[in-house]
Amino acid sequence: MIYCVMKRAAAGALLAAGLATGAFAFPDKPVDYVIPFGPGGESDISARLQQPFFKEKFGQDLVVSYKEGGGGAVGWSQLNGLSGDGHTIMGVNLPHIVLQPAEKDVGYKTDDLVTIYWFHFTPDAIVVRADSEFKTLDDFLKYAKDNPGGLTIGGTGKGSANHLAQVKFDELAGIKTAYVPFKGTGAVTTATLGGQIMAQWGYTTVGAAQGDQVRLLAVATEERHPLFPDVPTFKELGYDLIGGAWRGIAVPSSVPEEQRKQWSNMIAEINADPDFRKKMEEGGFAMADVPYEEEKAWLAKQKEAYIQAAKDAGILK
Amino acid sequence: MTGFDTFAAALTPLNLLFALFGVVAGTVIGAIPGLTATMAVAVLVPLTFTMEPASALILMGAIYTGAIYGGAYSAILLNTPGTPSAIATTFDGYPMARRGDGDLAITLACLASVFGGLIGAAFLLLLAPPLSSIALAFGPVEYFWLAIFGLSLIAALSEGNVFKGLAGGALGLLISTVGVAEISADVRLTFGSQILLGGIQAVAALIGLYCIPVLIDLVATPERHLRVEQPKGFRLAEAIGVSLRGWLNLIRSSVIGTIVGILPGAGGSVAGLVAYSEARRSDRGGVEFGKGAPGGILASEAANNATVGGGFIPTLVLGIPGTPPDAVILGALLVQGIRTGPTLFESGGAIVYTFIWGLLLATLLMLPTGLLIGRYAYKSIVAVPKPLLVAGVAFMTIVGTYAIRNSTSDVLVMVVLGAIGWVVSRFGFAVSPIVLGIILGPIAEQGFVQAWTIGTAMQNIPAMFFGRPISIGIITFTLFSLLWPLARTAIARRRGAADLPVIAGAPAVRGPVDWATVAVSAVLSLVGAVTLFDTAHYSDADSKVFPQTVAIGLIVFAGLCLLRALLGMRNRDTPPSGSMSRRTALVVAVLAAALLLPLVGFVAASLLLVAVLIPIGMHERWTARTGVIYALSGVVIVLAVTWLFGTLLHVPLPVGRLF
Repeated sequence: MIYCVMKRAAAGALLAAGLATGAFAFPDKPVDYVIPFGPGGESDISARLQQPFFKEKFGQDLVVSYKEGGGGAVGWSQLNGLSGDGHTIMGVNLPHIVLQPAEKDVGYKTDDLVTIYWFHFTPDAIVVRADSEFKTLDDFLKYAKDNPGGLTIGGTGKGSANHLAQVKFDELAGIKTAYVPFKGTGAVTTATLGGQIMAQWGYTTVGAAQGDQVRLLAVATEERHPLFPDVPTFKELGYDLIGGAWRGIAVPSSVPEEQRKQWSNMIAEINADPDFRKKMEEGGFAMADVPYEEEKAWLAKQKEAYIQAAKDAGILK
Repeated sequence: MTGFDTFAAALTPLNLLFALFGVVAGTVIGAIPGLTATMAVAVLVPLTFTMEPASALILMGAIYTGAIYGGAYSAILLNTPGTPSAIATTFDGYPMARRGDGDLAITLACLASVFGGLIGAAFLLLLAPPLSSIALAFGPVEYFWLAIFGLSLIAALSEGNVFKGLAGGALGLLISTVGVAEISADVRLTFGSQILLGGIQAVAALIGLYCIPVLIDLVATPERHLRVEQPKGFRLAEAIGVSLRGWLNLIRSSVIGTIVGILPGAGGSVAGLVAYSEARRSDRGGVEFGKGAPGGILASEAANNATVGGGFIPTLVLGIPGTPPDAVILGALLVQGIRTGPTLFESGGAIVYTFIWGLLLATLLMLPTGLLIGRYAYKSIVAVPKPLLVAGVAFMTIVGTYAIRNSTSDVLVMVVLGAIGWVVSRFGFAVSPIVLGIILGPIAEQGFVQAWTIGTAMQNIPAMFFGRPISIGIITFTLFSLLWPLARTAIARRRGAADLPVIAGAPAVRGPVDWATVAVSAVLSLVGAVTLFDTAHYSDADSKVFPQTVAIGLIVFAGLCLLRALLGMRNRDTPPSGSMSRRTALVVAVLAAALLLPLVGFVAASLLLVAVLIPIGMHERWTARTGVIYALSGVVIVLAVTWLFGTLLHVPLPVGRLF
């Protein structure tokens, strides 16, 4: 399903991008790109990778700033109060913006956010250290079945994409693992490399960043990831698990319709750049294109699916 | 590869220029509270896209090491760590500056920073691959014990009453849990407030707790901020003498700093605190630590600059950032298409070694530039008339706090915490234990929750907490640090020597009931009770265990303080005298500015603040000349800093109805 959307959207985006260039003198000053996390995380790195391409294509600086706190909630709860002249955008993440307001009062609702474009996702994956006794997913499952509750698996936070994947997979496979929450993917990866935990619910990006220090047991995509042709998908092993974390941009609600479309086109143009795609894919990201016109219906579907999954998992009541 | 060719590559004029520019810019940025090394490096990232990888690394490494050193200036001159790494520098640096040795303190900080930086970089050059395994050897439980070791410093920082210190530490730990929980699924202690949702930012809390009380007492009296006899220059010979006598301290602190820098979950602040604690424990007399001992500055500054080289070890060898600025540098390298990891040292070795040589050169350049900038900083703080000093510093606390994460809520929290800090420290509850709690709280909580979960899965919780060799080592050191002063006193007493004070500060005196302490203790107990009430609603057991334990601790310690105060045991210094109305006016003015910031805009609120604070800080008779000069200087400070932050550092300053 995901790849389907991506192909269709990519074609539309390319067309739209062609129309957008040169039509208006926008942006006409540097753009403030707010990342609702701290510097150095995956959202920051994604933005940094977009930065030079934006400058090259649209002639203005994309200035990254940070509004860290509450796992992104601080930034998102303040988004609609920011300047609506079209020169302020903010990174958004899924499932964060769905699960956070569903779980607790975090100062914003999913539907308050004017999301514009979803440009990539990082597929869930089980990561182990290179010298781990788990060579395959079967080894992992065997250990988990022999030692109920004894297999420690790390992930970022609770009620997060990683946590959701853990609960869902445990249910699908009929196992019980011990979920150890960490602050940020970097901290979990360190614990994985140090053997503090037996495995990690991470993303393909972890595999890309750590190279042969780690091994992926399975990836939660429809088809195998181009960077890891030897790693099976959960699906082909018989587990209906597809998911990950999505990234996109949003603007304050006061930004007019016209500029929202322009932003969608600009991001599409960057995403369509072959050099950019190559860099992103080398980093383990899976490219996607959900432009403004299709985004609303798409997000509604995602929201429903995430909420259902979180309810099934018992993360949401 | 390690040899001459990479060294020569680092010596190109362009690289040297980058190293020089980086160190100077970093020092200035680091000196401004709120602007951290992480931010300094992040601002540079876009510039590096078009550079040679090695040059980009040299520039970022230089600005990073400069910023860590620059943090010492405000720590020494204003009692406010410019970056969290300089927390331990305030303990002795500010007392030294107060008694007129600010120039010596700054020169010592420079020497120690250069020494520590060189040691850290030398380890990076020679032993990076083997040392990187330290990053992996530390698991959750080791971090938990490391945080406990850091917290054991509270006993030393309590200024006379350990129970007051412990209560303050517990308060700090609770403050660290406010907001959306990092690793569990609850929102804690926000009471429905949006302002507190993102938690109390640690750097904002540092600025509030350390700097606002200084400002409050600064306006109260016409006395000079720092005592100065006659200017003595750099006092370089004296500083070298002190450093040579403290050679063991310098080496030990640099090694501690390197190792803590390698640990991805710790950082410069923890390194400084651990090194300080060890220096204090092994001190053999002279000026007491905490009262202006040069050894305290040497320890903290050598350790925090050693974390720079240390932090690069896991960053470059494993692709795991050792410190937050390293995470940003790693991101910049990824954009350039460079993958760190074991292969980098082999295939990309030339880049790595050119960078390391560059870092060593930048650290050496810090010696002349640091001495010169430090001299200038000291002279300015001493020479600036009080009204302008008060207005300028208050303004900087606001803009610096805002810039941490572009949040006006943080500014409000900073001012309120500052006022609270002033009140409690007046009654013998020192602010440093609170700060320690805030800094070490997340490390302790996360380590504890993770270790408990893993221990449960292993069905052996005691072995998890007490059975691992590194943990046993840290626990032993903690006990040793806590018990050694007691043992030393006992030994001295047996030898018939005069009583050595176990803990610095005013001794307990019996007297009438200390109602002020009774009141503060009662409020702290109430905070504990409210926390317990709040935790009852948490859905996740992982978010409960830590605040509940700490809240019970707070109630117990505050209860003991209350009991002692009721018995009339009084152990606090006489609070500084001076005008209460001026103090109140300052707090009201800064609070009003914080509230007005999002409404009227940054420049308008700042100009108003400066206009109000100059008369509040003015103790002399106004003349037409001073009036004009002060007003103009105020406007210039506001506009210059606005330009620096808004244009140069790309901080999106709030725009309101005015400007």
